[in-house]
Amino acid sequence: MLDPSSPLGLSLIAASLPFFGAVLSAFLGCTRFGRFAHLPAIISFASASVMSAIVLAGVAEGHGSLAITADLGTWFSVDRLNVDFSFLLDPLSLLMLATVTFIATLIAIFSAGYMRGDSGFARYFSLMGLFVFAMCLLVMANNFFILLAGWEGVGLCSYLLVGYYYAKPSAAAAARKAFLVTRLGDVGLVIGIFLLWQAGGYHTRFDSLFEHIAKHPPASGTITAICLLLFCGAVGKSAQLPLYVWLPDAMEGPTPVSALIHAATMVTAGVFLLARCAPLFVMSPEAGLIVAIIGGSTAFLAAFLALAQNDLKRVLAYSTVSQLGFMFLALGSSGAISPRIAVVAAMFHLFTHAFFKALLFLGSGSVMHAMGNVIDMRKFGGLRKLMPWTHATFLIGSAALAGVPILSGFWSKDQILHSLLEAGESHAKYHTIYYGLFAVAALTAGLTAFYTFRAYFLTFWGEERIPHEAHGHAHESPRLMLVPLVVLAAGALLAGVIVDPLTHWFGHFLERSPSIEHAHAGYLAHSNMVETAHGFHWGVAGLSTLLALGGIGAAASLYRRGGPEKVPEGLKSLYALSLNKLYVDEAYDLAVVKPAEMLAATGRQFDAFLDAIARLLSYAPRFLAALLRPLHNGLVQFYALGMVLGLAVFITVVVFRSAR
Amino acid sequence: MPNTEAIRILVLAVLFAPVLVALAAGLAGRSGYRAARRVASLGALLHLGLTILLAIPSALVLIDRSNQEAPGMQAASQFQPIFVPGDPQRDGGSYETAWNLFPVGTADPALPPPAIQFFVGIDGLNIWLVLLTSLLTYVSVLVSYGSIRERAGGYYAWLFLLQSAIIGAFLSFDIVLFYIFFELTLIPAFFLIGCWGTGGGRRDAARKFFLYTLLGSLFTLIGIFGIVLTNPTPVSATMPKPQYVIATDTKGQPIFPKAGPVSFSVNRLMRNVSAWNRIHDGKLNAANAKLANAAKADEKARGGRDALAAKLASDGLTQAERDLTTVKMERESYKNLQFWLFFALIAGFIVKVPLIPFHTWLPATYSEAPPAVTLIFTGVLAKLGTLGLVRIVLPLCPDMAVQQGMAVFGFLGALGIVYASFCAYAQRDLKLLAAYSSISHLGLLVLGMFTLSSEGITGAALHMVNHGLTAGTMFALIGFLAERYRTTDMNLYGGLIGRFPQYAFLMFVICLASVGLPGLNNFISEMLLLSALFAPETAHTLGTGFGIAAASGIFLSAWYTMTMLRKVFFGPVNLPPQPTDAEPRDLRSHEWAAFGLPALLCLVLGIFPQPVIRSMKADVNVIVKQTDEARERVNAEKSPSR
Repeated sequence: MLDPSSPLGLSLIAASLPFFGAVLSAFLGCTRFGRFAHLPAIISFASASVMSAIVLAGVAEGHGSLAITADLGTWFSVDRLNVDFSFLLDPLSLLMLATVTFIATLIAIFSAGYMRGDSGFARYFSLMGLFVFAMCLLVMANNFFILLAGWEGVGLCSYLLVGYYYAKPSAAAAARKAFLVTRLGDVGLVIGIFLLWQAGGYHTRFDSLFEHIAKHPPASGTITAICLLLFCGAVGKSAQLPLYVWLPDAMEGPTPVSALIHAATMVTAGVFLLARCAPLFVMSPEAGLIVAIIGGSTAFLAAFLALAQNDLKRVLAYSTVSQLGFMFLALGSSGAISPRIAVVAAMFHLFTHAFFKALLFLGSGSVMHAMGNVIDMRKFGGLRKLMPWTHATFLIGSAALAGVPILSGFWSKDQILHSLLEAGESHAKYHTIYYGLFAVAALTAGLTAFYTFRAYFLTFWGEERIPHEAHGHAHESPRLMLVPLVVLAAGALLAGVIVDPLTHWFGHFLERSPSIEHAHAGYLAHSNMVETAHGFHWGVAGLSTLLALGGIGAAASLYRRGGPEKVPEGLKSLYALSLNKLYVDEAYDLAVVKPAEMLAATGRQFDAFLDAIARLLSYAPRFLAALLRPLHNGLVQFYALGMVLGLAVFITVVVFRSAR
Repeated sequence: MPNTEAIRILVLAVLFAPVLVALAAGLAGRSGYRAARRVASLGALLHLGLTILLAIPSALVLIDRSNQEAPGMQAASQFQPIFVPGDPQRDGGSYETAWNLFPVGTADPALPPPAIQFFVGIDGLNIWLVLLTSLLTYVSVLVSYGSIRERAGGYYAWLFLLQSAIIGAFLSFDIVLFYIFFELTLIPAFFLIGCWGTGGGRRDAARKFFLYTLLGSLFTLIGIFGIVLTNPTPVSATMPKPQYVIATDTKGQPIFPKAGPVSFSVNRLMRNVSAWNRIHDGKLNAANAKLANAAKADEKARGGRDALAAKLASDGLTQAERDLTTVKMERESYKNLQFWLFFALIAGFIVKVPLIPFHTWLPATYSEAPPAVTLIFTGVLAKLGTLGLVRIVLPLCPDMAVQQGMAVFGFLGALGIVYASFCAYAQRDLKLLAAYSSISHLGLLVLGMFTLSSEGITGAALHMVNHGLTAGTMFALIGFLAERYRTTDMNLYGGLIGRFPQYAFLMFVICLASVGLPGLNNFISEMLLLSALFAPETAHTLGTGFGIAAASGIFLSAWYTMTMLRKVFFGPVNLPPQPTDAEPRDLRSHEWAAFGLPALLCLVLGIFPQPVIRSMKADVNVIVKQTDEARERVNAEKSPSR
């Protein structure tokens, strides 16, 4: 089945290469060649990336639907639940595959320098290989169970990588938190999958499932419930409100892992899931609205939290949460406007975000590498002379994140804002709310520019300060680590403008995905609207430029000379709220974790009580015996008395009954 | 086609070889524990080989049978054990045996006397459990390798006797034989806990285990005799001799009642149940038709002028009504009886599983018994309960399983999933944590089973094997720590990844299998069980609630497992004081075999479960057919049209 000459075969080989890389790395780790364990990972990622590029080049031209599926045998099948090893190649999965493997290659190269000399070198690359493999499995899946396998696989690998420094209690706690919080969302996802399975005529494959749903639409309540349950999974995995709390903690792992989690392999899974299930979401305006509201509030809240963080990686982590919120905003508008616009906007942002977020995290890793693993921005500053390459690339990444025109982030953020505006202007149900969401998104874009450049100025500008942990030999990173930075910076600069605004290639290619086509057909059927032309909107672009520059200007005016922290009077209390992360962790601890633990303790007590009851019952025979034992006292006179009394009672009864 | 006759002998060998090994180990124990454990490990390995030798052709035959089934074909109305020793037909088509143990009572001299039979055989439900038993016994012997030094001969002897009894119960198709083996397991288990237990309360725990499970199974005994004696027969009260249905013909129509033997074979008993019900349905239809006719005649006669005819018609109508009432009463009294028999029959099994709130014997037993014995308990002994449910309770009381099963035992299962998870979280002892986790997983098994759909029952049958593998290996891995440090208190351990990396690796694999990670075995069966809960026939309000409870298990199991892993394996290294001078080592080679082999099987079963599922298909369909018929009857009674 795995014919390398067919696009699907080649991309499946590409998807499975990281797995073999992982096995080989692990094997090398067991031998004395452990220091070469990075090679299988890098080589397998790179060749997977090249293969997916070849596939992409092969199918990029042309028109009409593009979907190649294959079933490679049965996984498990009983009566109505039939699950095959079923895979799907369409523009959506292909773009994800190419992005993931490409970014992962660069991160692996960076890691080879960053992790050199670490005792768990082989373990690191082996887990990384598994991580990428799980993500590839997820995007290539053609049914929910393969998708779930990849989904849980990335969860597991992130758990193991976040807890990579296993002896550190904080890393252990963060790893457990990451696994459990995402798993909480998975409960909803699994319930949603089974409800969908039931409502969708017991199909498990995406294509037949969506076809069935389109032909026999279930009740609107059911479809809304299904959508929201699926979204639960995405909320956990993609760190949205209220389950975002794991992601900022997850930077306990090595920094390149954060880059991997934030850019390529983990948090994008939720966005991908919703893009894949777009045909369902267009059927339920309510679900779309809730997705958009959650996305909007997450985007804003996370941007607010990022304002006052002292930890460079934490700022970036909250910015990821916020940017993911943007993607969900776009996805949530897909019922009100055509999914061809909304889903494409979300996926485009995912694509550009992968570049600049990986760049920013690797840049912060480079800083951390030089500063002796210190990442607190209060302890260092003014590094632009010391680390020119890191500085330049970090600046490009920040500008892209802030949405400076021409850079990649600008285009994709603009598309999202534009979609929201159009959703507001549409005649869909709840369309006025989308205006509000547009305002929130615009405000968040301004905040984004501000906090990004705050972090940038605090790190690279002002007086040069180096923490003593760096032991006096702070230095620019080795070339092995700079190459990925430069490549990613080039991507952050140009990837956006090349693939979409100039050529519209990205959008046109993605539209050929059957799930987006299905969704578009569903949208047309539901809304009875003619498709509006979707061009470049100068007003939105101007507004977002203004916001980006305003945010950057504000940051420059406050932090141009580097640290320390300057908080305008009157905003002190807001600053404290942001610094303390709104006390969300504490609130969760008080409202969820502690009660659950108390419930567990109560359960244990209750179990002892149940045991006591069982014991009490077991004493019943002994108790009865104790009652009866005195009767057998061995005195013949007593027995005789008993006999006489018994006889007397008997005779009395007989006499009275016969006399009546 | 493999040589049937030889494989029949192999079945007997697998069943009785452990007795010989027990004898040999007991004798070898006289010359020290080294000799005993050498004999025991060799014996267990040989027996595992024998079982594999049996399992391969059995699986091939069973899968072949499933493959030959045409899509629309009716399922058989009884289990179809293969390789039955004493099968009167040489090629094994009769699914019966001629080996009688004790003849019971008198019957028509022309017919074979009713007897308790030595009726053992292989089918899709039991073959994997037998294999699991042999594997876990081998693991158990390996885990006992270093820790059992006192009276080792006796220990291994009891262990192998336990194995023999468990395999016997798995293989039995005679209800009394099943019960005998089922109870025989108590004696070795009692001595293994009481004499070789690790805690101070071992004697108390042994007594508690023995009495508690015995009490439960005494109810089952009553149930079994009740079932045999009241096994539904289309007997007419006016006939002088009791009459029994013995067969159905090729078209599925009951052969007219003939005098026949009372039977102890599960197969015959279940055939009688469905035949009786079918005949009764026929009677009911006839009575209904008669009533309709009589009503029509009455209507007609009332319109006419003939007073006599009107009187006759009216009498006929009364008579028809009375007949219908009689027929309905017959069914009503049958069902009343079934109600009590169902609860009596199921009692022993749910104590053995156990379902909450009948689990209180379990924590004490599991924490006092040596880990090597606990792994047999949780891995296979608990499966006697679940197999009893599918083999005996569901086929013999299908109506009650439909009516009461989900509401009562499904509820207890759902409650158990959540409740036991919370209890597990609060434990300090690794063994107790694993014990409660086991209760939680088995709650899901029972809940899914009582959906009575093929997904649910296949999931349950598969989960028996999967849970046996993971939970059994979990206890084996806990035994690793118990052997080295004589304690399983979680708070005394920390950072074991750094100290025992190989051990930590296998522990992670088993823990992840236990939380249902895709790619490992439990995921498959959990998905099947969950899907059954969301299928429409169970997905009424209650069913969806149960489904949500079951799905919450996905999170809850991760919650306590990951918390345990964080405490014990992450963080700075922290170890209890060493009991001996020798520095404890990471996995030794025999431990790699003991833990690595099951872990590998977890992976294999997670990726290629389909052969196992296929081999179970025919037998699952038998049960589903029985319960589907019952569901139809129950639904028909509910709907007012009847």
